[in-house]
Amino acid sequence: MRNMFADAPRTSLTAIYWAFLLYLLLPLTLMMAMSFKDANFVAFPIGEWTLDWYAKVMQDKQFLEACLYSVMIAACSTLAATTLGTWIAMLIVAEGIKGQIIIFALACLPAVVPGMISAISLRIFISTIDMPTGTAAIILGHTVHAVPFVVVMALTRLRSMPGNLVDAARDLGADSVVAFFRVTLPYLKPALVGGMIFCVLLSIDDFVRTFFLGGYRPTLPMLIFAKVQGGMSPEINAMATLVLVVTAAVGLYAEYLTRRARTR
Amino acid sequence: MVSSNTTAGYGAGHDASVPKYSTGIAKVVNSALYRHTLGAAVESRIGRIILLAGVPLIWLIMLHVGPIYQMLKISLLSHYPVQPGVESNFTLDNYAIFFRESLYFTPLIKSFIFATAATAVTLVVVYPVAYYVAKIVKPEGRSKALLLLLVPFWAGELIRTFSVIMLLANRGAVNVLLREIGLIDRPIPMLYTSFSLGFGLVYLICLYMLLPLYSAIEKIPSQYLDAAADLGAGPFTRFRRIILPLSKDGIVSGCSLVFLTCIGVFATPMLLGGPTTVLFPETISGFFHGASDKWPVGAAFALIMLVTALITAGIFMRLVGGKKRSAF
Repeated sequence: MRNMFADAPRTSLTAIYWAFLLYLLLPLTLMMAMSFKDANFVAFPIGEWTLDWYAKVMQDKQFLEACLYSVMIAACSTLAATTLGTWIAMLIVAEGIKGQIIIFALACLPAVVPGMISAISLRIFISTIDMPTGTAAIILGHTVHAVPFVVVMALTRLRSMPGNLVDAARDLGADSVVAFFRVTLPYLKPALVGGMIFCVLLSIDDFVRTFFLGGYRPTLPMLIFAKVQGGMSPEINAMATLVLVVTAAVGLYAEYLTRRARTR
Repeated sequence: MVSSNTTAGYGAGHDASVPKYSTGIAKVVNSALYRHTLGAAVESRIGRIILLAGVPLIWLIMLHVGPIYQMLKISLLSHYPVQPGVESNFTLDNYAIFFRESLYFTPLIKSFIFATAATAVTLVVVYPVAYYVAKIVKPEGRSKALLLLLVPFWAGELIRTFSVIMLLANRGAVNVLLREIGLIDRPIPMLYTSFSLGFGLVYLICLYMLLPLYSAIEKIPSQYLDAAADLGAGPFTRFRRIILPLSKDGIVSGCSLVFLTCIGVFATPMLLGGPTTVLFPETISGFFHGASDKWPVGAAFALIMLVTALITAGIFMRLVGGKKRSAF
């Protein structure tokens, strides 16, 4: 009797977990399935299946250009955000500097401000410094968005670093710069690689900042948004599926890397 | 254990990397350029501080604070961008517009209702899932159970919103299924309503709730639960007296994160909502398209939203979380 009652919550929680997983995966699965529909309108049931939409997407110049553009923006903003985030994290853990809590709060500010407001404020900001909308503005916006995450990831790793490593390097004659590049940076590497992949995904997924800071060249989310507003077609499903598969693979790889770094 | 680990790791890394590294680094360090610039700078205390703090502080002040400051400044101007022949004065009128017209007031209220409802639903739905992964799944299986839940997270805002359309459209999966079973004759219009928007928001943000809850619940020692059970506490009492209070940090940070994200979502309401569900971000965005002389009003509205959202999150943190705060 008692055991039965003890098991009831366990069983129902297991059921809830699987139901929740189904809820998470069902819309995405439907979206992927629809990309194989052999008709030019989006509706269930799917009926005939085809790969034609993928062939069409792979020849779609607009899509390929948007892919390249998104990847280029992601690469630039990730490099900038990783450099700046690491630098800020080094400042926060440095000895003999006052106001570290304030610096940390400032570093986290863009993560607390809702996306829409962050985008608006950046749009206003670039106009006050006479910067045109376009590629550079998007990169700047994505960098601001990503820096807090790099700071937090780098800080977590830096705080677990034994202080005597840098001291040893100093004793052996390295100055601060050399000690950073030869001791601290290699120690940070696993956290930074994970952080960089996270930044890439943040940038590729970002819609609202690109919407306000971008010019006429669409990034991937902008292109998909425009197509969805223009009318449904399985072609959009094929595009979205391709993007999803690639980003999920990158995300899983990052997960694998950070896990390996943790167990080592 | 920690020290032995690090010594070993350091030693190994040192031995392996000396030949490859030292030549490159040595070349840089011994070059005249380095010795006269960076090398000289790190010799003095002031130089070291400038090298360490210069770029970060400039970045933080220029780009983390700067945009918010500029937005504040412009929200207090009568005209922006500056046009020849038009004088720009200091004014509070842009804020007053918000309170004068219900046309603007209503979207903000709706934004708050949607964000609050989505946060509450997410908390209720995700809590048992987080508890299951943190306490019932065996430690070896935990990361796998968590990873399965994280897969959709890599899809991004727009693709996840788009996939909800597949489910809820008139010829989407739900309607077609219901018609096949014979429950309905004609499709239930679900898309472009409050329902589809709420559903989409929860679908979009539920994973932001999962991780804070998971890490809070995982930290609760299982012995506490065993002890309570030995003392005769049933599952409900154990949940109310032990698990809930001890996972408060996770609830607070999860809810704040979800709420603030929800308030700032822009694309989802535009794709899933209808004419009756215009939220505040869409209202604000209207001031930045076309007639650009409405920028000050848009800036003022964005600030109104930012301040009210942060105050709401702050009050919630105080009420539920008490004095202890844990943002990360």
